[in-house]
Amino acid sequence: MQRYIIRRLLQAVPIMIGVTIITFGMMVLAPGDPISLLVSPEQMGTTDVGVLRAQLGLDKPWPLQYTSTMTALVTGRLRSFRERRPVSEMIREALLPTSVLAIIALVLAIALALPIALASALHPYTPLDHGVTVFSLLGISLPGFWFALVLILVFTDRLRWLPASGIRPVSTMGYRPVDIWPYVIMPTVVLCLSILPFLVRYTRSAIIENLGQEYVLVAHSKGLSRGRVMTRHVLRNSLIPVVTVLGLLIPVLLSGSVVVETIFAIPGIGRLALQGALSRDYPVVITTTVLGAVLIIASNLLADISYAFLDPRIRYD
Amino acid sequence: MAVAFTPSSRRSVAYRFGRNQRALLGAVVLALLVLMALGAPRLAPYPPDVANFEHRLAPPGGAHLLGADHLGRDVLSRTIWASRTSLSIGFLATVIAVTAGVLVGATSGYFGGWPDVALMRVTDMVLAFPVFFITVMFLALFGPSIPGLVLVIGATAWPPTARLVRAEFLRMRGLDFVAAARSLGASEVRVMARHILPNVVAVIVISVTLRVGVSILAEASLSFLGLGVQPPTPSWGNLVADGREYLRSAWWVSLFPGSFVFLSVMAFNLLGDGLRDAFDPKMKV
Repeated sequence: MQRYIIRRLLQAVPIMIGVTIITFGMMVLAPGDPISLLVSPEQMGTTDVGVLRAQLGLDKPWPLQYTSTMTALVTGRLRSFRERRPVSEMIREALLPTSVLAIIALVLAIALALPIALASALHPYTPLDHGVTVFSLLGISLPGFWFALVLILVFTDRLRWLPASGIRPVSTMGYRPVDIWPYVIMPTVVLCLSILPFLVRYTRSAIIENLGQEYVLVAHSKGLSRGRVMTRHVLRNSLIPVVTVLGLLIPVLLSGSVVVETIFAIPGIGRLALQGALSRDYPVVITTTVLGAVLIIASNLLADISYAFLDPRIRYD
Repeated sequence: MAVAFTPSSRRSVAYRFGRNQRALLGAVVLALLVLMALGAPRLAPYPPDVANFEHRLAPPGGAHLLGADHLGRDVLSRTIWASRTSLSIGFLATVIAVTAGVLVGATSGYFGGWPDVALMRVTDMVLAFPVFFITVMFLALFGPSIPGLVLVIGATAWPPTARLVRAEFLRMRGLDFVAAARSLGASEVRVMARHILPNVVAVIVISVTLRVGVSILAEASLSFLGLGVQPPTPSWGNLVADGREYLRSAWWVSLFPGSFVFLSVMAFNLLGDGLRDAFDPKMKV
């Protein structure tokens, strides 16, 4: 197992290098100049653009820029063009709201998907099951940005129950649950709904597949109660493929965060990535892209490891 | 249940598709949407870009069935015209993605060996990309444009198709009919294109159908963020963004165009799901 993990980590290295080269290549090829977005036209005359360019390291040939950017990125010394402070600091601040939303959405989605899928799988091809299938299809087709606006219209505008922007009241700091809960509801519902239908569909088909297995018959004939057979035997075995799907849903949550954080004005990673790209803050762009790739690779690896953990028959050596 | 039919017979595929009400619904909705896009000049009650300040933010009903926007333009007409942009971007991006996916998957699965290893490495790499971040970055750095949008959505969406097609080619290259074709002197390309590909059509058709929905959703999200289709060209995504400012006073400006994204993506998903069930319910697409 250890050897497998090491091999996978080594395989991740060329992928990471590929991601950074592609990101960097786009910056080099992109038309326009980041300096022009940093200095307002009125200041153009008074600021020494050459000095600024040298300060940001943009005067060097680009292979050198690449190596110095990568060294700074790895050692955490990379500084934002725009805010002139370490990108690592900005990432740390932005990671908190994003992960709060993503974790709540993920937990909520799992908590809802398991009972829905179980109920649906135990009564296949009944109106209940058809209803679940139709709702999953609706959910998969739902544009997150549109749904978010519908929620804002209903719950902020008409009912005045929930705030539509920010992660906490302006007067408070930190992420105390008492402060943030009304702000968290709508963004997490949108994120949750972006992954729930996938989870329900995969879990349902995994359960149906398992129900036909002989071990279920054995468990029943041993005289185990129906509930015990379902929870300890069927559900447990059905979770194995579901875990891999969870790994695949992390990118969905990540792209969802760009849209959700933009609509609800949440200072998270998605918004940071979007604003970094729009303002040509290259250090921010490359860091958020690398972070995204790390998250995706790590969650896939984690899924594969837990796969082996849940099913002892799976051996990776 | 159509157990009595063999899965390969065309009639049974058509039969099962016809029996599947959800798939039929998807096909009908889709046909209507395509007709709407094609007939935009005849169907739209107003020109899409003519402002009429007397009708500024007019509510739905009366002269404007779905209301009017902040310049008094007819929301229904703009939504109808936008369907041309949004549907064509969805189709074109899918053509790019599926063509690339089929080429990569077929080469990889049929030849095996080092081309397979190399191509699958690239596929894995793209799958590990934070695709949405890269898309956003590309459009922000190079400036939003329709060709850019089509290219970037297509270029990042091919890996799933490549994997499916690879698996099918890998399975079929060892079968007798392939050996027979080869022994008759058919070239590799001919075997791939004339003998194996027709057997993979089901996978490709389903892949295309589901992919168009995903592409439309991507276009809408990106245009909503201001990175896709730029006004004055209407697309469903940028119409939603346009009206967002007036959500409080005039929800119809934003929410009606957005509901067409929902409707069209749903139609493609219903159709894709139905086709899968009709071809082979066990198929993993």
